Order: sequence, then structure tokens, then C-alpha cells
Amino acid sequence: MSADVILEARDLVKHYPIKTGIIRRTTGHVRAVDGVSFDLHAGETLGVVGESGCGKSTLGRLLMRLEEPTSGSVTFEGVDMYTQRGAAMRRLRRDIQIVFQDPYTSLNPRKTVGDIVGEPFDIHPSVAPKGSRRRKVQELLDLVGLNPEHINRYPHQFSGGQRQRIGVARGIALSPKVLICDEPVSALDVSVQAQVVNLLEQLQKDLGLAYIFIAHDLAVVRHISDRVAVMYLGKIVELGDETQIYDHPIHPYTQALLSAVPVPDPSEKGKRVQIRLTGDVPSPANPPSGCRFHTRCWLAQTLCPLAADGSGSIPPQCSQEIPELVTHDDGAGSHEAACHFARTLEA
Amino acid sequence: MANESHPAPGPLVPENAKASATYQGSLDSITFGEGSALPLNKPVSSGKDRGIVGTNVLPAKHAWTPVDGRLLSVTDLMVEFRTREGVAHAINGVSFTLDQRETLAILGESGSGKSVTAQAVMGILDTPPGYVTGGSVEYCGVDLLRLAEKSRRHVRGAQISMIFQDALSSLNPVFPVGWQIAEMFRVHRGMNKTDALEKAVGLMERVRIPAARERVKAYPHQFSGGMRQRIMIAMAIALDPAVLIADEPTTALDVTVQAQIMDLLKELQDESGMGLILITHDLGVVANVADRIAVMYAGRLMETAPVGPLYAEPRHPYTIGLLESVPRLDSKLGETLPAIGGLPPNLLAMPTGCPFNPRCRFAVEKCWTGTPPPLTPLVDDDSRATACWLVDDPSVRGEGQIAATGGAR
Ligand SMILES: Nc1ncnc2c1ncn2[C@@H]1O[C@H](COP(=O)(O)OP(=O)(O)OP(=O)(O)O)[C@@H](O)[C@H]1O
Ligand SMILES: Nc1ncnc2c1ncn2[C@@H]1O[C@H](COP(=O)(O)OP(=O)(O)O)[C@@H](O)[C@H]1O
Ligand code: SF4
Ligand code: SF4
Ligand SMILES: [Mg+2]
Ligand SMILES: [Mg+2]
Repeated sequence: MSADVILEARDLVKHYPIKTGIIRRTTGHVRAVDGVSFDLHAGETLGVVGESGCGKSTLGRLLMRLEEPTSGSVTFEGVDMYTQRGAAMRRLRRDIQIVFQDPYTSLNPRKTVGDIVGEPFDIHPSVAPKGSRRRKVQELLDLVGLNPEHINRYPHQFSGGQRQRIGVARGIALSPKVLICDEPVSALDVSVQAQVVNLLEQLQKDLGLAYIFIAHDLAVVRHISDRVAVMYLGKIVELGDETQIYDHPIHPYTQALLSAVPVPDPSEKGKRVQIRLTGDVPSPANPPSGCRFHTRCWLAQTLCPLAADGSGSIPPQCSQEIPELVTHDDGAGSHEAACHFARTLEA
Repeated sequence: MANESHPAPGPLVPENAKASATYQGSLDSITFGEGSALPLNKPVSSGKDRGIVGTNVLPAKHAWTPVDGRLLSVTDLMVEFRTREGVAHAINGVSFTLDQRETLAILGESGSGKSVTAQAVMGILDTPPGYVTGGSVEYCGVDLLRLAEKSRRHVRGAQISMIFQDALSSLNPVFPVGWQIAEMFRVHRGMNKTDALEKAVGLMERVRIPAARERVKAYPHQFSGGMRQRIMIAMAIALDPAVLIADEPTTALDVTVQAQIMDLLKELQDESGMGLILITHDLGVVANVADRIAVMYAGRLMETAPVGPLYAEPRHPYTIGLLESVPRLDSKLGETLPAIGGLPPNLLAMPTGCPFNPRCRFAVEKCWTGTPPPLTPLVDDDSRATACWLVDDPSVRGEGQIAATGGAR
């Protein structure tokens, strides 16, 4: 393990049973996360992007051990997370915290802001002894840009952006080393979203936090991330630093995803390479054989001479062999992608 | 096609449209049962009045003809919500126009009044608590606000149609989608079942649903989010409306599917020449599809402009702030995003003066008092208008030009 790797995920798998009929017999599995490996370095931000249902939130919950994996391991500072019990696990939990997507539903409406932000101290009283609680919570509120005097207010008395700040305050209460942010700004308006993104970056600088930043907005992810993982149907299909992924993508899915993002500049209209994926993401209960992307892959179709006539044929490798996440040349260097034919996009 | 008239015969509300209690459905919304019939009929504007109540009646076969290509002309629209907490001034004098083949984007953040504007144009405002208290909505030269409900019904769906923000939940889960589309033709055109179902297949093909004929009997849950959105679009264009209002049609969808849906709307518009009002908060979507943009804030238009000039040189401080605060896909800028501080105002307690003043970094004394700055055409370009006292101030213009380059400073 390299010196500054703080969290290491190896072959993480989470399958949810599909139960049908009156006797709730298991008739299949949703392969929400299906073999995910990556390293997270201390103090860095790893962005995770992908279409809805590709397994981003499940991955986040696994890293928090809010769920047990079907198989695979997560090592935090050299300690295997899934084998820890009792006090040892509680100590681990202090170091990994989460901020949830929806600022409107993730906070208990019957609790005051003070109760919500101070909640982690109930589980870990040693961090903030009884007498110092209130002051600690007020410091946290101040840190995330909320008025410390509002400690007795309820969530409904705050706007969406402010509620997200409450969630962040709770997330950092125990001074974690890793903060998992699951779509922390998706429900917010542009002007308020920028405020929360800035807050997260400031906190990272001040507290040395590492972030797993899950989002479907690719521009926000670029802004905040050092490295980016692109997921498709439970697997990472491309992993690299921010410039590699955005300026030199080599996986055809990443290329399609980026080209679908509308750029807020009308003078660019018609100038960018446009790749339109047809159809929808297949069901993770029954993922395609071989490369999971082969049913929608535009590159595979152009690789087969027959495909041009609409026959829809693709190289047999694509439908038969699962591509591994391995290093490929990206034109400006190299990074990892899971595609038999990974290559830079010729504009 | 745009000026063809299709009066609706027979019952306007399908019996089963209101059958299921949870169903907020599209049939209901497009045929719009009773609901907005208002008892009083004098257009007064203050106190405990009922707002503008239309009484004019048009012949059912009225021929709707755009005047010089102009479909819609909204002038000084005012809408308020009378709630227990007080009167919320949701729309405070909004004016815009829409021509044939044109795409007008109404851009604004949550709560700025986009949906309410659309509801007022459609005549489906939730009354009470919502009342139109001023202005006019002219469609082909006729003020819809002064039309009796009976006549307005001939306009909804057939002339001006709408795709709703919560479209994905507004299909009726217990009926096959083909049946729901066919119902449009049965109700509005008096077609028989077989013909209507045949039309439904045609429409599903028009919105590019693969294997439409086989899937006409499928239920909504058997379709993906993107496919359900296509079905909603099919229903909205079923009667060949001249105006289509799309309220956040892709907000709930992934970018890949969003791109498909925006392409589809564009193709449909090219085919039929309809005018499109696209309501959104996404600056990226707008840049790619709109001809003109109206930027909305606290129930007012802050700036209107053709799309190119607006992005090349935003002139209103709010627009400048918005363009600065979007992160860019094509470059990683400095660590801090230039955010607009603060929050949109509470509509129950609007600040005096310019509604943007508490968040505006340019605000001067004048901004804090008196009436808000009116939306005024620019002296150097009358295709654009802004509502700001400092529109010609060199420092505002300078920062607008910086914002246009992606906020790099
Ligand atoms: N039925 C209602 N009763 C009271 N107030 C309402 C009602 N409908 C809308 N409003 C208020 O009118 C204002 C404008 O609402 P509108 O739904 O048009 O906003 P929007 O810009 O479309 O926002 P969003 O993107 O969140 O839907 C808001 O402040 C809203 O709270
Ligand atoms: N508790 C669960 N039971 C069954 N399926 C689940 C459960 N949680 C998630 N899934 C499925 O796993 C897949 C990935 O889900 P999720 O990680 O929530 O996706 P997203 O990328 O949208 O956050 C989806 O198909 C989802 O329906
Ligand atoms: S392996 Fe084949 S199907 Fe998969 S992404 Fe690469 S080219 Fe496409
Ligand atoms: S009128 Fe004043 S407060 Fe309003 S946008 Fe212009 S400068 Fe800012
Ligand atoms: Mg999620
Ligand atoms: Mg709305």
C-alpha cells in the first residue's frame, strides 16, 4: 500500500436478492455493485459519476459499512473494515462520515439543528464531553457558514442550501478523515450550489479531509475532483485524474457521457463532437454478457464493417469477454479503462 | 398547421380521468375538467377580488391565426397567491412574446415563478389561492384571460399544450399507455376506439418509441423514465398544438436521455413549426436549444435577449452571477466558484427597490428605494432588455464580459 493511501477498496460486490411470489423466493439478483476497486489518497477528492442506477449510492453505503458487501474488502488505514467489531468498528466509523443527497428529507424534522449536528456526539461522547457540547455544535455551525444562534431552530426554518450545510456540519462533527458526499448539491439551485461546493473545498483545505464525491453533474465533479471514476452498471469503466478523464477520455461510454452534457455556451453549438447513445441503461438484474456497455456502444458498432449497414454486429470480444480495468495510452499519457478497444476520440 | 383550429366536441373530461384518487394525470391536465371556472366576472385588481375573470365567448370553430407569425403575447402579467401567511406576489408584471417556430427559454431558479407563469398562460392556475390580478395573455390576437372558461377549453391542448414538470408521475399507472394517448383523440376528436388506438401508435412512432405497435398495450411501469417522458410528449402534441410549453422536461433525467429528449423536441418543432416555451434552470440546456431567453427572478424578468448575445455579454447583475457560478465542463478553473451570496427573497416580504438588491454586488443607493427598475430595451440593441438601474454602468458591463468567458478572472 502506498504511503498516503487512506482507503482501499478491492473487488467490492453488492448483490441485492430479488424476491418474488408469496413465499418471497429469491429469483435473481440486482448486481448494484459488481467488482469495484480503487484507492483513495489522504486529502484528495475522488469523483464518482455515472447514470442513475449505476451503483454510486450503493458504493457510498458500502464504504460507510451501512451495508455489508456480498464480497470484497475495504481497508481503511491498513485495517480491514468488514472484519472489525464493537469498539474497533465504532472507532473506524468516526473516521468515515457521509452527507446525503436530499437536504429536504435527510434531516429529522422534529429535531433541532443542535440535536442533529450534535447527534454523532451521542454515539461518541468522548469527542465532546457533556459540558462542551453546545459550544462544539455552535463552532460547527459557524464553520459551515450558519448562524450559531440558530442552534434551536428546526430544519424547515432553513432553505435547501442551508439544510445541506447542516448535513455537512453533522458529517464533519467527529473530524473524520474521509467524507462521502452522495449528490450533495444535486437538489440545489445553481447560485446556492456554488456556495456549498465552495464550502466543501474550504473545509478540505482547512481540515485535510478526503472526499468521495458522488454526483451526476459532470461539470460540478470536474470542478471539485482530483481524480474521477466513471461507473456503468455496477463497474468502474474508466479511472483517471480530472484532466485525463475530461480532456483525454478513452472509454467510449465516458466519451458519450461527456458529449451529452450541454455546454453553457451557444457559440459552441454544433462545434463539439456529439455522440448520442440510443436506448436506456440495461437492468442491473440482467446485465449484458461480455462488456456491459456493448448493447449501447457506438464504438463497437463502428469497429465492425458490417455494422455500418445497420446489421448491429459488433466485435465478438465485446459481447463475450469482460474487459478488465487496465492502463491504456490516452494520447497524453496513460490511465485506466475497461474496454478492449480503448482509444482517444478523433474529433 | 399551426393555425388550424380543432374545436373539441363532446364531453371534455373523460369519465375515468378522475377515477383514481392519486392520479394527477395528464388527461386531466390536458382536458382540464372544471376547476378554473370562476363565478364573478368583473376585472378588478385589489382587495378581496377574484382577479381577472373572463366572460368573452368565441364560436367553437374560431379560426386561430397568428398575427404576423406571432403566436403569443404576454403583457404585464400579475399573479398572486393569497395564503394564510399573507399575499405572495408570485408574478409581478411579466411580458414576453412567442413566434411560430421560435424557442423561448424561461430561465430561473426554483421558486422564481416559471411554473406559475406557464399555469397562468394555460389557465390552470390553482384558484384559490392563486389569482391573475393583471395583464393580458394574447393568443393569435385574442386575450385568453378575458375568455370564458368554455372558450378557453378549446384552446388548451388543441392550441396551447403543456408538458408538466412532474411528468413522470403523471401517467395513470393502471391504464396502458396507448389507451391513455388514444383517449386524447376520443375525447377531443370524437374518434372511435380503433381509430384512436391507430392514431396512438402513429404518435408513439412520432416520438421515436421503438416497436410502438407491440408496446401500445404496455403499462407505464414497463417503460423507462426517458420512454415515459416521450409518452408525455406524445400526449402533449397529439392535437397538433401551435404552442408547446415544456416545464423542466428533462430535469429528472440523465444527461444521455436528456440529450435524446431535447433532440426529439427540436425535431418535432421542425416538423410542425410550433412555438416552444422551454422552462428550465439549466444554463447548458438553454444555450443549446433556445432562440431567445427570458431570465426570471422573484416573479420578474431581469433580462431578455437572443441566446448568443446573452451568453456573450450578460448585462444584468443576476445573469452575470448565474453565468459565473456554473462550473464548466471544458476547463477546471480556480478553486472558488464565484457564488451569488444569499438567497432569493421571500415573496411574502419582498425588499423595496430592486428585488435582487440584497444579493447584488453592484447595488447603489437608488436600488434600495422606490419601485423596482422596469424591464427596458437597451439603447444600443433593442432586441435586448434588462431591468437594472446600472445597465450602462461600465463596471457592470466589464464584469459581464468576464462572466461570459466562464468566470475566469
Ligand atoms: N398553490 C400555491 N400556493 C401558494 N404559493 C404557491 C403555489 N404555487 C406556487 N406558489 C409560489 O409561487 C412561487 C413561484 O412558484 P413556481 O412553482 O412557479 O416556481 P418555479 O420557478 O417553477 O420553481 P421550481 O423550479 O421549484 O418548480 C413560489 O414562491 C411558490 O412557493
Ligand atoms: N435495497 C435495495 N434492494 C434492491 N435493489 C437495490 C437496493 N438498493 C439499490 N438497489 C438497486 O441497485 C442499483 C444501484 O442503486 P444505487 O446505488 O442507488 O444507484 P445510483 O447510482 O442512482 O445512486 C439500482 O438498480 C437499484 O435499484
Ligand atoms: S469493450 Fe467493446 S463494447 Fe465494451 S466499451 Fe469497448 S468497444 Fe465498446
Ligand atoms: S438595480 Fe441595482 S440592485 Fe438591482 S440588479 Fe441593478 S444594480 Fe443590482
Ligand atoms: Mg443515488
Ligand atoms: Mg417549477
